[in-house]
Amino acid sequence: MKRQSTTFWIGAVLAGMVLLFLLVGCFWTPYDPEAMNASMKLAGVSSAHPMGCDAFGRDVLSRVMDGGRSTLLVAGGTVLLGAGLGIVIGAITGYFGGLADTILMRIVDALLAFPSVLLALVVVALLGTGEMNVILSLGIAFAPSFARVVRGEFLRSRYLGYVQAARLAGASHFRILFVHILPNIRSVLISALLIGFNNAVLSEAALSYLGIGVQPPQASLGSMLADAQTYLFTEPLLCIFPGAVLILLVLGFGLMGDGLRTGRK
Amino acid sequence: MALLEIRHLDITFLDKKKPQKIVEDLHLTIEAGDMIGLVGESGSGKTMSALAVAGLLRQKNVQISGEILLDGKNLLTCSPQELRQLQGSEISMIFQEPMTSLNPTRTIGWQVEESLRLHTNLTPEERKARAMEALHDVELSDAERIYHAYPHALSGGQRQRVMIAAAMICRPKLLLADEPTTALDVTVQKQMIALLQKMNQTYGTAVLFISHDLALVRSLCSKMVVLQQGRAVEAGDAEEIFTSPRQLYTKELLAAVPKFERQPCQRLQTDAPTVLQVSDLCAYYPKESKRLFQKKEQKEVLHNITFSIKKGEIIGLVGESGCGKSTLARSILGLHRDYIGEIRHCTEHPQIVFQDAGSSLNPAKTVDWILQEPLRNCTQLTPGQRKDCVTEMLWLVKLDESLRSRYPWQLSGGQRQRVCIAASLMLHPEFLIADEPVSALDVTVQKQILALMQEIVRETGVSILLISHDLRVVYQMCDRVLVMKDGSIVEAGAAEEIYQDPQHDYTKKLLESAGY
Repeated sequence: MKRQSTTFWIGAVLAGMVLLFLLVGCFWTPYDPEAMNASMKLAGVSSAHPMGCDAFGRDVLSRVMDGGRSTLLVAGGTVLLGAGLGIVIGAITGYFGGLADTILMRIVDALLAFPSVLLALVVVALLGTGEMNVILSLGIAFAPSFARVVRGEFLRSRYLGYVQAARLAGASHFRILFVHILPNIRSVLISALLIGFNNAVLSEAALSYLGIGVQPPQASLGSMLADAQTYLFTEPLLCIFPGAVLILLVLGFGLMGDGLRTGRK
Repeated sequence: MALLEIRHLDITFLDKKKPQKIVEDLHLTIEAGDMIGLVGESGSGKTMSALAVAGLLRQKNVQISGEILLDGKNLLTCSPQELRQLQGSEISMIFQEPMTSLNPTRTIGWQVEESLRLHTNLTPEERKARAMEALHDVELSDAERIYHAYPHALSGGQRQRVMIAAAMICRPKLLLADEPTTALDVTVQKQMIALLQKMNQTYGTAVLFISHDLALVRSLCSKMVVLQQGRAVEAGDAEEIFTSPRQLYTKELLAAVPKFERQPCQRLQTDAPTVLQVSDLCAYYPKESKRLFQKKEQKEVLHNITFSIKKGEIIGLVGESGCGKSTLARSILGLHRDYIGEIRHCTEHPQIVFQDAGSSLNPAKTVDWILQEPLRNCTQLTPGQRKDCVTEMLWLVKLDESLRSRYPWQLSGGQRQRVCIAASLMLHPEFLIADEPVSALDVTVQKQILALMQEIVRETGVSILLISHDLRVVYQMCDRVLVMKDGSIVEAGAAEEIYQDPQHDYTKKLLESAGY
């Protein structure tokens, strides 16, 4: 394995810390994230509540841990779905070319022309809210950018000697696409996945912020930010904590992707 | 005082793990107007020495020590500004790959004038006059058109001429020529050599000619230096080194150069079965349509090709680049389907060995995986049986068992080509196509691979269609020869006959350019 750059490792440590924090949140939170306590309304930072309490007296630390989990789930699902679709479309269009390429890539172009959040809005409006529908809508919105990257790589590879040699060795097209060529574009794919993951985190937060992602009372980093906005000047800490987690996560993955890209000459 | 004097030149690449010595203690003297050859295998430091002289190696991870004196001025210690003053006006360089060494977004005229723009105060009109003169000088007909053309519109030979024109326009005292003819056809190669000689004689420009082609160096240079792994092992009068080499390495290098020699008796059995029969083959490529709904026109790239290969035969296919050799190979393999005529072979899976072994092996897979792949696709063998087949094949191509688990980038060029040959033989085909199998290899490795191919033919009875531009290699290897020009076979027959008594003018021209 090649040595990775320092940028990559800084990013990996940041992202790793946040992921560990959120992973703990899957199994254990200090309080029930949805339990309200009227006496603790907008209580500040204390040893019992390290991040304070929100307007309904719910523990912010617990809510960040729980909300981060759903953010992560949606982002992960989005990237997997988007990358899966994108790889298949990109591989077929890049390798075979011709009519399939023209038709599929025009559809991809049309999808790329919409802002992904707008596209997700339409899908959510049709199918309703909820984590699965958000994943589906964002996944479709994210597929075109993966398809573009993958198509370029397959287009480049298809005339290389080893692909021709594989054809002569009797390999089927399916085998050439996914057994011969795909492993060779993994480095490009990993960078694309990391960058895609970041965008997915931000998009999920944006959807929740708009109130069409995860529905209350379930927590999400985006909806927490939206709720905190009301108290921005009286209780600024309320939006700083979920915001900070979001920033650290995105920064960590961003640095990892950047480190990989520059490390690969 | 000598024009260029290199003393104690050391070049070290400061890798993170351990520093690598690329050139060690090199001494070289070039007098004004000299033509000196720098020869050696790939990786011997030829190009790096030239880049150091040209001042293109000033990077922080490269350490250069010693002295490079141009007219007494040390190029290694002068400031970047001073160096830039000399680059292009006193020293210039031409490269191996004419396709990539011209800027595709600028016209030829602009690029030829670039040095004048940087080093002189000529007006645009004067510059154009000088550029036109330079283009005439390198014997480009139709200089006016070429002046306004972009690089993609020119052939490889024309581009290399443009490179020479651009390099010579300021009348430098020293021209560094890094394998300037390697990527060109033999007939063009010969013209390029004549051109360099002319430049040398007319303008007194000294030339440092870097090449792995020893015959070429002999015909061109008065003196030569032989490099081996960064060290100069032999230096002196070119003719003397050729006739009486002192070092073992030089002797090996000279012995490996393909010559017009062959074992007179080779197995030419007339009753052997035919393994490939090509009759009246015409192949087409679609022309680019200019308008959207225009009916697509077709261009005929192969005209009425007819030939056959018998079992155990090696047939040579020679011709210049663009004559349709590769299209013929692709048609036979079934990779190009747009043809009429008949191709009949008794092999289910015809195979090919490509020129560039680096790209024809999947970089993400191990040698073992690559060699098993044809068996996995086309046979029902168990994993254990497949392993045995691979072992057997590695033994046949004389590769060590330990290389099984290596990735292609961990192999040398010769080893990679052996893996390619092994991969093509895995299904025991009746015949295989070898498309310039040794062109990218060093002469010593070339010799080993050619010997290996002959041995394989003897042992397995496979037939080979050997595509090559090197007439010496073809003469050594082949029983029969096909000469191809512009998509037609202009001459075919036994190798001896064609080489001794060529009938077609084109064959004569080819043989003459190759120095037969």
